[in-house]
Amino acid sequence: MIYLKNIWKSFGEKQVHKGLNLEIRPKETLVILGRSGGGKSVLLKMIIGLIKPDSGTVTVDEKEVTTMSFKQLQRLRMKFGFLFQGAALFDSMTVGENIELALRRHSDFKDGDIQERVEYALSLVKLENIEQVMPSSLSGGMKKRVGLARAIALTPKYMLYDEPTTGLDVETADGINLLINELKTMLGVTSIVVTHDIHSAFVVGDRFAIFEDGQFILIGTKDDIRNSTNPEVRKYIESDIQT
Amino acid sequence: MTEHHRQKFTFLNTVFFPIGKGIIFFFEDLGKYFSIVWWMIFNSRNAKEYSRNIFQQMVMIGNNSIPIVLFVSTFVGMVTAVQSSYQLYDWIPRTVVGALVTKSVLLELAPLLTALVLAGKVGATITAELGTMRVTEQIDALEALAFDPISFLITPRVIAGILMFPILIVFGDLVAILGGMFGASIVAGIPNASFIEGMKNSFEIWDAVFGIIKAVFFGYIITSVACYQGFKVHGGSEGVGKATMNTVVITSLAVVVMDFVLASVLL
Repeated sequence: MIYLKNIWKSFGEKQVHKGLNLEIRPKETLVILGRSGGGKSVLLKMIIGLIKPDSGTVTVDEKEVTTMSFKQLQRLRMKFGFLFQGAALFDSMTVGENIELALRRHSDFKDGDIQERVEYALSLVKLENIEQVMPSSLSGGMKKRVGLARAIALTPKYMLYDEPTTGLDVETADGINLLINELKTMLGVTSIVVTHDIHSAFVVGDRFAIFEDGQFILIGTKDDIRNSTNPEVRKYIESDIQT
Repeated sequence: MTEHHRQKFTFLNTVFFPIGKGIIFFFEDLGKYFSIVWWMIFNSRNAKEYSRNIFQQMVMIGNNSIPIVLFVSTFVGMVTAVQSSYQLYDWIPRTVVGALVTKSVLLELAPLLTALVLAGKVGATITAELGTMRVTEQIDALEALAFDPISFLITPRVIAGILMFPILIVFGDLVAILGGMFGASIVAGIPNASFIEGMKNSFEIWDAVFGIIKAVFFGYIITSVACYQGFKVHGGSEGVGKATMNTVVITSLAVVVMDFVLASVLL
């Protein structure tokens, strides 16, 4: 379980989080929906201790993240897979090296096993024989898939997706959404998806937290959103949010 | 508050507020730099786990810089020889040119000018590379994969700098002296034998060692500052450009200041 309790965070003069509370339940896919640049991605980074809140607590598996030492944070991060908005592939490494990096560092696998794991991770994201390709040669959608393969290489317990469909055409975005659902079924992971794309949100999400002006204005199911009379929530349903 | 006092207050505020802010920013930045250096030293036992990265950086900093170091050193040696012979020709024996070139190159010119060239080449490359990694979230991705980005990215570059700068400067010394001999010969008509005689008479091993010691410090300061500047980039490609410029300016200044300090302490 992951809990965020009374999270406050500001960057300079800008208050991005104003006392946020959130609970992420095991095996569910929770979608955090809101405008770009509002501070949703910061929440994901807080969960793995990349950013600390000004006040409030982040708890993962009953352990407080904000007070963890660096070693404790490293152990925590091994439980997570993180798909970054731009995939964040290491552009000086091949696709294969990107995926095997964490395996070589954090597992006892031999070379042959690592090769197998890399191929398996790539097959899960529907890619084959691109281990020797450099990331700069890949399309946006392929980069996201490789980023996903890298994130799942260590079979994480939790998956964090930062705007997984941003910048992709509709067809490729649908492919990524499908993958998110397949990975959830196959690996049984708990997922948090940050997006401003209501269509994607409804395809992958079990529960939804609508983030507006530093606060969650609604946390609930698809039906809760559809039945909401809150004008801010209605806005999300009636039109895709413009970035 | 009277109008006079208000104007005086506004004036003082306009003058002193930016100065105070600048001083605070400077010390804050210095503190962050030293906290990274401290982390690097504290976790240096992990360096062997990243030996492959150290080797890659040694190639990048060392091998890839050889052409420019040789080019610059050759001309530095030639210019020193030509100017020495121009200034001293009628006054002193010809062997002095060889002595002068050797001393100047070993003690000062090869280490300093090589370092200034490498501040541009190596420093700018490191900052641009790490800065781009920062703005494209590659450094965040490393941390998310439970890596220590300082041990993975900074330590190998600094170790490679400390190891490769002395080697580059030894190459620079040799080529600059050869260039000096060539320049003295073709422009000033000083026979190679006279040049070599002057070089032999003036050569002291400490001069070469001093240059190598300086190279170690220059290697450290250029790579560590470049890494720090790249690491703290924010604001996209504009931020990368600004950080790269800062690296070249700061490392060039740091090199000349350190050059003076080392000369004062060691000579």
